[in-house]
Amino acid sequence: MPKYPRLQSLKAINRVMERYYVKRKLMARLKPMAYVTSGAPVEILETMGVLTLYPENYGALCGARRDAVRLCEVAEEDGYSQDLCSYARSHIGAVKQPDGAPLNGLPKPDLLLCCNNICGTVLKWYEVLADHYSVPLFVLDVPFQREPQSEPHAVQYVTDQLEALIAWTEEVTGRRWKPKKFREVLALSNETVSLWGEIRDLGMHKPSPVNAPDLFVAMAPIVALRGTRQAVQVYKGFKAELKARVADGVAAVPGERYRLLWDNIAIWYRLYRFFRPFMDAGACFVTDSYTNAWSAAEPVDLDDPLTSMARTLLAVYINLDLETRAGIVADLAQRFAVDGMVMHANWSCKPFSLTQSDIQAAVREQMTLPTLMLEADMCDSRRYNNGAIRERIAAFLEMLG
Amino acid sequence: MHYAGVDVGAITAKAALLDDNELVASAVIAAGYNRVEAAREVLAQALQQVGLAREDIARLVATGYGRVQVPNADRTVTEITCHGRGSHWLCPDVRTVIDIGGQDSKGIAVNGVGKVVDFVMNDKCAAGTGRFLEVMAHALEEDLARFAELSLSAQRRVAISSTCTVFAESEVVTHIAAGAPKAAIIAGIHEAIAARVASMVSHIPVREVVMLTGGVARNGGVARMLEERLERTILVLPEAQITGAIGAALFARDG
Repeated sequence: MPKYPRLQSLKAINRVMERYYVKRKLMARLKPMAYVTSGAPVEILETMGVLTLYPENYGALCGARRDAVRLCEVAEEDGYSQDLCSYARSHIGAVKQPDGAPLNGLPKPDLLLCCNNICGTVLKWYEVLADHYSVPLFVLDVPFQREPQSEPHAVQYVTDQLEALIAWTEEVTGRRWKPKKFREVLALSNETVSLWGEIRDLGMHKPSPVNAPDLFVAMAPIVALRGTRQAVQVYKGFKAELKARVADGVAAVPGERYRLLWDNIAIWYRLYRFFRPFMDAGACFVTDSYTNAWSAAEPVDLDDPLTSMARTLLAVYINLDLETRAGIVADLAQRFAVDGMVMHANWSCKPFSLTQSDIQAAVREQMTLPTLMLEADMCDSRRYNNGAIRERIAAFLEMLG
Repeated sequence: MHYAGVDVGAITAKAALLDDNELVASAVIAAGYNRVEAAREVLAQALQQVGLAREDIARLVATGYGRVQVPNADRTVTEITCHGRGSHWLCPDVRTVIDIGGQDSKGIAVNGVGKVVDFVMNDKCAAGTGRFLEVMAHALEEDLARFAELSLSAQRRVAISSTCTVFAESEVVTHIAAGAPKAAIIAGIHEAIAARVASMVSHIPVREVVMLTGGVARNGGVARMLEERLERTILVLPEAQITGAIGAALFARDG
């Protein structure tokens, strides 16, 4: 009997993701294949029957399988700096040396869609891919937002680009745009996003039926399969399992003593191992700012989809100004009634990590919440100092006690 | 009844013995490679001072990086928590503890009962630690006590900007070659430590009374320059180096 109850739905989600990758390997020659960034409007490509793959998701996979360091080194030998995002280095490493990389690398793309609402690194990363594969690249430029509400000119600017993206995809793939199909895909996408929000909100229960590492495993479909029936189906199952836990009073961390908030991307190479000392002390990460990034404030308006999508693309967490971010984190802390916050200062992800110190100060002052900042990296385990992190976690847990 | 706290750090091992009210004995020795032996030895030395044997100790709490290697400890507590507890016992008005040890430095915010409410640690770069002073004193052929004195007597301070001990050492060599006075170089070294530590501590709320603990507290130059940087008076007690061990002994006493 394991000490911590396991979620059966996570196995189903992993199977869906395995099929996702296998299908793309098999179908790559039959359908056009696009690489897309995690914040991109995948629904447009889904509508046109274009297969999509996420090099970022692949980077996370490399991290989880502990292949990232070797692949990063391949990229570094090629001149890519160690300070560059470890998703980018892992993927570029696998492009250069696919043999022995997870899935023996990703199938070759026919087109590239890069949306810069998540970082600036993707611009150069995708330029490298466009050059390497000699395939067309569409850059969807999403301006950084300095106000909580998206600026109207920015919404118009992104909307215009979405129209251009549709025309571009038609031209590049020879496939026709189908507005009716688009509505179907958007409806599924809205349903997926809404399910994801409901799943995350179940963490508000005391004790929480779900711990952050569970969400890190479960998040793959919300990133990669938005707008598909598989995503809706698998999340319905996950939600039902969590609701059953709530009904039965089953806690993700039995004897939950502390409720914590996680900030920043997961540490993929230590997914559950990292959280173990917390779990052993009865601490459950009931919410996080990372997987929250995929639960939108409002669904896409099917009657004005492009404008509505533009708003969503602009409102991605790491495309927002410091004050708005601090407000989002404080809101999570309040709604989920947390006792403390752990921030992963992620060497790879500058847009996510740059504001952390100020958010920490804001949250600490407004809510007198104990906080812990840990320096590591999402995929590059060379940046993980086990001794230093262990000491900080131990002291933080004593501080909560 | 007697209670023991043993703090096995990166460079030294410390022991503190308490009875129900007072600190009755303490010892500090070099930790060396064998931490198990160092823990045993430092405790033996403290016990010897008051003519006690190991069996006379009701409970022992271990702290410091080497805490898990302390034989027969009843419990382990991190040095952060122990420094908070120990400093509060020494001075109940303490709200900020700056601990500069051999291999790392920490800023600890404590509340009115000595409980840690926030902390920050540096263990990435040696240029904010005791080791940095040791390396530099060695490079300049001065013993550590005189090293601190010289820093206080300097008329001016050279700038040491490297964040890494090894590069800072080459920077020092450059200053020597340029004919900078020794005292000015030494003062610059102390200032570099104070600057790093002050910058680190700025991440937690710094409230008075501010206490400096750890082996480097014995160095008056660092304390003085930290006072300048933080614009606050810093309390340095004779027990600075054994504050963590005292905190551990207090946890032992409380069971």
